[in-house]
Amino acid sequence: MSESLNEIIKIVSPNYFLDESPEIEKYSVDGKKPNLVALPNTLEEISEIIKIANRDSLAVVPWGGGTKIKLGNLPNKVDVVLCTNKLNQILEHEESDLVATTQCGISLKEFQKSLREKNQTLPIDPPHLEKGATIGGIIATNDSGPKRLRHGTVHGTMRELILGIKVIRPDGNIVKGGAKVVKSVAGYDLPKLFVGSLGTLGIIIEATFRLYPIPKFSQTYLVNFPRLQTAHETVLSILNSALTPTCLELVNLTLSDSISDKLNLDLKKGEFSLAVRLENVEKAVKSHVSKLRDIYSEKSSGSILLEGNSEERFWNEIREFPWIKTENNRTVCKSSVLITDIPKVLELLEELSRKLGAVIYASVRAGNGILIISIEGETSKLIEATASLRDLVGSLKGTILIQQAPQVLKSQIDVWGEIGSSLNIMKKLKSRFDPNSIMNPGRFVGGI
Amino acid sequence: MNTKPEIESTEWKNKFCGKLVQILSEEGVISSQDELIAYECDALTAYSIKPIFVVLPRSTKQVSEVIKLCNKENIPFVPRGAGTGLSGGALPTEEGIVITLARMNHILEIDIPNQRVVVEPGVVNLWVSDAINRNDYYYAPDPSSQSVCTIGGNVAENSGGVHCIKYGVTTNHILSLEVVLPDGEIVEFGGKTLDHPGYDLVGLFVGSEGLLGIVTKVTLRIIRKPEEIKTFLASFDRIEDAGASVSGITAKGIIPAGMEIMDYLCIQSVNKAVQAGYPENAKAILLVELDGPIDEIEAQMPLVMEVFNENRAKEIRIAKDTEERDLFWKGRKSAFAAMGRVSPDYYVQDGVIPRSKLAEVLGEIKNLSKKYGLRVANVFHAGDGNLHPLILYDSSKEEEAEKTEELAVDILKVCVDVGGSITGEHGVGYDKKKFISLMFDEKDLDTMNLIRCTFDPQGLCNPGKLFPTPRTCVEQGRKSYRVHPVEKAGLGEMY
Ligand SMILES: Cc1cc2nc3c(=O)[nH]c(=O)nc-3n(C[C@H](O)[C@H](O)[C@H](O)COP(=O)(O)OP(=O)(O)OC[C@H]3O[C@@H](n4cnc5c(N)ncnc54)[C@H](O)[C@@H]3O)c2cc1C
Repeated sequence: MSESLNEIIKIVSPNYFLDESPEIEKYSVDGKKPNLVALPNTLEEISEIIKIANRDSLAVVPWGGGTKIKLGNLPNKVDVVLCTNKLNQILEHEESDLVATTQCGISLKEFQKSLREKNQTLPIDPPHLEKGATIGGIIATNDSGPKRLRHGTVHGTMRELILGIKVIRPDGNIVKGGAKVVKSVAGYDLPKLFVGSLGTLGIIIEATFRLYPIPKFSQTYLVNFPRLQTAHETVLSILNSALTPTCLELVNLTLSDSISDKLNLDLKKGEFSLAVRLENVEKAVKSHVSKLRDIYSEKSSGSILLEGNSEERFWNEIREFPWIKTENNRTVCKSSVLITDIPKVLELLEELSRKLGAVIYASVRAGNGILIISIEGETSKLIEATASLRDLVGSLKGTILIQQAPQVLKSQIDVWGEIGSSLNIMKKLKSRFDPNSIMNPGRFVGGI
Repeated sequence: MNTKPEIESTEWKNKFCGKLVQILSEEGVISSQDELIAYECDALTAYSIKPIFVVLPRSTKQVSEVIKLCNKENIPFVPRGAGTGLSGGALPTEEGIVITLARMNHILEIDIPNQRVVVEPGVVNLWVSDAINRNDYYYAPDPSSQSVCTIGGNVAENSGGVHCIKYGVTTNHILSLEVVLPDGEIVEFGGKTLDHPGYDLVGLFVGSEGLLGIVTKVTLRIIRKPEEIKTFLASFDRIEDAGASVSGITAKGIIPAGMEIMDYLCIQSVNKAVQAGYPENAKAILLVELDGPIDEIEAQMPLVMEVFNENRAKEIRIAKDTEERDLFWKGRKSAFAAMGRVSPDYYVQDGVIPRSKLAEVLGEIKNLSKKYGLRVANVFHAGDGNLHPLILYDSSKEEEAEKTEELAVDILKVCVDVGGSITGEHGVGYDKKKFISLMFDEKDLDTMNLIRCTFDPQGLCNPGKLFPTPRTCVEQGRKSYRVHPVEKAGLGEMY
């Protein structure tokens, strides 16, 4: 092993840390320290490193901003952490094509900043923006935020926005798929295969995206509802209307109260709130606001308007709430159910918090059926709450992913849950791409 | 691996047919030479091969059993929808059978509040929107062939349409697939809910051109109809001005639902064929459709007009009602068929370019047309740079057919040279397999082969398509093979 590590060190020197270095601690993966952290400068260097790792069966963990490194099952082993953040150049941005190609070690924040100069954006708002989440990490986790409703939900996720990709395969070969134009069906859709693959099929080096113009005007309405049922009815009415919100977020009591306190919003205590974001030309936003009022007016117990900084701060809270605190006794889950099943999950959460005395924050992409849930409490309570949630969501044919949990809990469960009949083909894919199982071994679904 | 049966022998054939009939009953098997002719080719009629049998299953179970039988007897099989494909994707293979999904054509579930529709693969694209029209919902991907082509074919080709600039293509609207794998196993990819954990097998399967298995059930995402639709028709003296208008509109921050350009030859043919009433003398017309909230459209309309005027538009019409709007689109959607009016044969090319290179590429195509002495009519999804140059020729003249092929390839080279793609929506299939190397090197193709071999190690599912040369699956594993941890742990197996 030390010989292989020396070979790698030669390639990246002086950009590396060894296990005696104090720096290495922060590159631990679920408590496992790597033997080497390498910070290569070029894709050729990465390719060389991967070849060595593949030859000698070293476990490689790709590392972007490190913001989501806790996602996944406990690793089987961690030999080399491979940082991508030196590969951070935007390679092409042709304004009139609304397309850009970038190296994937760049942070989303930097990428957006550059696009903004041309009044364009990658319409995606996953968490960890300020902490430096990279494009590569967001692709590998298919992470997303509240902004998922535009144009029949073509917005909001890497899955829908990625057009082309360049990756380094686990055998070190540099390969590409997709294209640099907005439409191409030449060959299999390699970009989609890599979205959400958690680094288990190779290292994502470059990606091409479709972009959109930045909307001219934005307002958010925060509407209070004393009862969950009426809040949900309002959601269904909005979805079935001509309104085109870009975000529609249903926030549970605990989270609503906490955000209200933090941002001095004066929301009614102990009620659900529904946040409706409208982004468009000013006139369209304003006329939609009055239509929106007609929909909710009889059912709600009050509403406030957010714009400018206060609007941004609110959405920042929604995006980041599970990740702001660092307490250990916490489980963060992302669950996906049908829109009509959302109330059932929220009701269970209220019941669990009463029964267990756990503090449960939840925010729901009400137009997509995605719930972000953060549960705080002793480990035994976390275990019980997670199990109940899994039972319910399973019976609803939904999915639940445990994004973060204490190691005790993680050692007892598969954070991805049941995969069903497609797991077998996933395993076969993995062993075709990575026969020596060097890429992030053990962290993905079904032990992949 | 089995050895090839003597498929020539009538005895084997009768026996095999008997086994198919056992699975599908008489009505589900076509064996008469006359009837087989209908399945010799898809809409790319230049290639044709007669299959040994055609089967028409009615259930997933039947599909699975037929495939298992094919595996046992080592017989290749080709999935087929409506046969409107333009790349020879459903072209039968020598000594193989065709599995047509046309009879699996039921809409299984309509769930408006959850915005989902579940269909069998033989359901025709337009039936979906028709079924939910009264709920004010629709299915967004709308290929021009939508009144005939099937959802199964759309999934296999990742079909586009005239509204994909804003709403994306098929892959953006598919949530789950039931698939019969090339070994007969029935599996489900994705689900009705979003963001399924694991590899995105739905994303991988859509656009895989029938090489990774047969789709037997599809969950579609449907969307709410826009509050308002406005369709413009602008005519120009120069096609370049139409192209510049397209860039001008997006530069204003407007993403129309669709933007389509037709050139002179195309306009003439369409007017003759379907009385579209397009301005007779126009050298080019640009159709622009805006959809969305009324106020948004009202704000955008003057901007669009401004762009038209800046680019010297001659005549600008705005559809005053649905009827006129349909007429604007009718010409566009029948553009391919209309070529029959001006030429005995035509070949549809399907290249993609960055929008910003439109004028340059159109110029190149004009030069190539002169060079080969063949007329080229241009119709294209201008909003996403997807060109459909229609090469007009006479197949009874041998040299013309040859020249057409050369010209078609030269156009692709131009597209790739400016950073584009050899196919935007029609697929590689049989037709373009030689040209996929213009975009992808050996290692890229090798990666795609890893995928194919994962799904179809025997190479029985729609073989001879997509890849420029036949590729085997054992090679890869053998070269560097050693028992790896996944296999040791019994988690996976080698193929
Ligand atoms: C006039 C005309 C206009 C067209 N306009 C457009 C357009 O605007 N946009 C566009 O994208 N395309 C267009 N096309 C091309 C064509 O209609 C599409 O590719 C369509 O999706 C093919 O559907 P089909 O049912 O006819 O499939 P087929 O042609 O029968 O098959 C296409 C491919 O799909 C595979 N396949 C079929 N069913 C299944 C299944 N159930 N499981 C797995 N694989 C399957 C076949 O093996 C084949 O490879 C047009 C074609 C014509 C003739």
